[in-house]
Amino acid sequence: MKLTIAHLYPQEMNIYGDRGNVITLMKRAEWRGVRVELKQVGVGSKFDFTKADIVFGGGGQDRGQLMIGEDLLKREKNIRQAADDGVAMLMICGSYQLFGRGFTTIEGFEIKGINVLAARTVGSEHRMIGNVIVDSPWGRLVGFENHSGETILEAGQKPLGTVVKGYGNNYSGVHEGAVYKNVFGTYLHGPVLPKNPRLADALIQAALERRYGSKAELKPLDDGLEHKAAEVASKRPQ
Amino acid sequence: MPVFLTLLIAKSILRLNRLLGLGGGSALPGLVAETLDSNILAKLASRIPKGSIIVTGTNGKTTATKMAAEVLRQAGLEPITNSGGSNLSRGIISTLVERTGLWGVVRGKIGLFEVDEAAMPGVASAVKPTAIVVLNLFRDQLDRYGELDRTASLIGGAIASTSASVYLNADDPLVASLAKYARKPEKVGYFGVNHSSAKKLKSDHTADSIHCPVCDKQLKYSKEFFAHIGHYTCPTKDFRRPKPRITESGIKLRLPGLYNLYNALGALAVADTAGVKRQPALRALEQVSAAFGRVEKVTIDGKYIYLLLIKNPTGFNQIIQTFLADAKAKKVLIAINDKFADGRDVSWLWDGGIEELTGKKLDVITSGTRAYDMALRLKYAEVKADSESDLDKAVKKFLGKVKEGETAYILPTYTAMLAIRKMISRRAGLEGFWK
Repeated sequence: MKLTIAHLYPQEMNIYGDRGNVITLMKRAEWRGVRVELKQVGVGSKFDFTKADIVFGGGGQDRGQLMIGEDLLKREKNIRQAADDGVAMLMICGSYQLFGRGFTTIEGFEIKGINVLAARTVGSEHRMIGNVIVDSPWGRLVGFENHSGETILEAGQKPLGTVVKGYGNNYSGVHEGAVYKNVFGTYLHGPVLPKNPRLADALIQAALERRYGSKAELKPLDDGLEHKAAEVASKRPQ
Repeated sequence: MPVFLTLLIAKSILRLNRLLGLGGGSALPGLVAETLDSNILAKLASRIPKGSIIVTGTNGKTTATKMAAEVLRQAGLEPITNSGGSNLSRGIISTLVERTGLWGVVRGKIGLFEVDEAAMPGVASAVKPTAIVVLNLFRDQLDRYGELDRTASLIGGAIASTSASVYLNADDPLVASLAKYARKPEKVGYFGVNHSSAKKLKSDHTADSIHCPVCDKQLKYSKEFFAHIGHYTCPTKDFRRPKPRITESGIKLRLPGLYNLYNALGALAVADTAGVKRQPALRALEQVSAAFGRVEKVTIDGKYIYLLLIKNPTGFNQIIQTFLADAKAKKVLIAINDKFADGRDVSWLWDGGIEELTGKKLDVITSGTRAYDMALRLKYAEVKADSESDLDKAVKKFLGKVKEGETAYILPTYTAMLAIRKMISRRAGLEGFWK
């Protein structure tokens, strides 16, 4: 078995160790005997996202977001088609914001999103920084958030989970992230996947099922260290 | 409040601190003085006869400042410098409190201060430096500083607020682009490395500023040293590496690594702005040993232990390179704390090129509040590690494993470094914090 992981804008959107998510996906697939091909998709490079199995996009600086904005819009139709078709995707922070309706900066400048997720982000005065805990269908997730954009989900848009500690999508601190089919958007850095292996495996499983049809059973791994690291993180002050 | 009174109170605190052995106490007297008189920094700094020079940047400030201080000292300039690494305004005030007599007379001729990036606007407007030297800008504790571009604009704003001459690292595109903030272009100089045999690590993913600061196009590199440091040009020709006035020829150092060569160039830039000639400056540089906790070698019961501070991915990669260059060293203790001074967010561990350690048959212990995070990072690079969160126990266990005559490495974050240093100084006789 083989999976293709597309890393979206690795040069521009890479600020908070989010590359660790790609490492985690690759290793957890390889440890189960699944070969992984990694494709770096940069500004201007040709790529058909319906051919990918997992797509990953990380967090970036404001300038990074501005640099990729136009290129991402050109890919809207293709990426939405892939999302509708069940391609697994994980979008963190800046990439999460642009997978929604768009981001309006505090100065009123608007960066359009590609409407995969029914979520709109507005720049705010608050900097939401700190350790986060979220209860989700993929277990209790731990991570670290660092954003000033506040994301509001539209009616009918499922969140990733509910916030136990920290802020999540916005200053109200109720919901975190958004999920559509196999597309996950979240503010959790850390990076998110190493300490939340269930979420990592959910992405791999969804990708294998779409590619190979049958119900893919993932061989369990020893996640003792993952759980210990997550437990420590959940006890650190916000 | 009269300066005399502020000084009297701050100096008493300084003495008391020393008497009680509360470490260097380097920030407290300054903090109190600043609370009593918010203009105290400007008042004290204005008394320094030859004015002050500021060194800033994310990596290497303490070492570069130590090097520069040695150069100035040997040139007879009696520098006043915050050598303890306390680099916010309160640390600089503490230094000045110590070096100013109650009647306001300053001991020393020239100020030389390392300044935290985020503290630059406040410190620069108070100190009114004659020169600002910017070493580099790498991603560093984003939970404290926010984005790198913001850090750059803070330093830029500080440059724009003074008439100081400016020395910039030509090989760091983001730093070189700060020239636009200088009031007078003729007062901008550059330092850089023309030739180096150092090769960029395969798993170095820390390049932050590889896009043109003018037009956002990706820069083309003819030489890549590490992170985004190297020789670059924008394909649209609107931005290129400036030609450095200060380069590496003739520099001999006791400290390892290309990053220390850059620190030395920063020190030569300081020397140049202070009017010290190159030859005596080079001679002084040859005698500089490591700054507090940055690269220290201690001998404990016949075991050679290197202590190397890690704080951000670029620094981590440099330290990994230094460690791997020592082929015989196989034992390493990595201590990761997530206290405020370390940065609460440990995501950066995943930006480090830990894969360089894969297959090297190392004996690794991880420790600190985030011992398991570090072990997990190693696990995904296929490197096995033992974890012991308790620093005291981890250090004991580690020293127990190291044999007499063997060289081993301890890589701590800032607060872990302070704690470990305390533990081993009892056994190895390290110099005091405040020296």
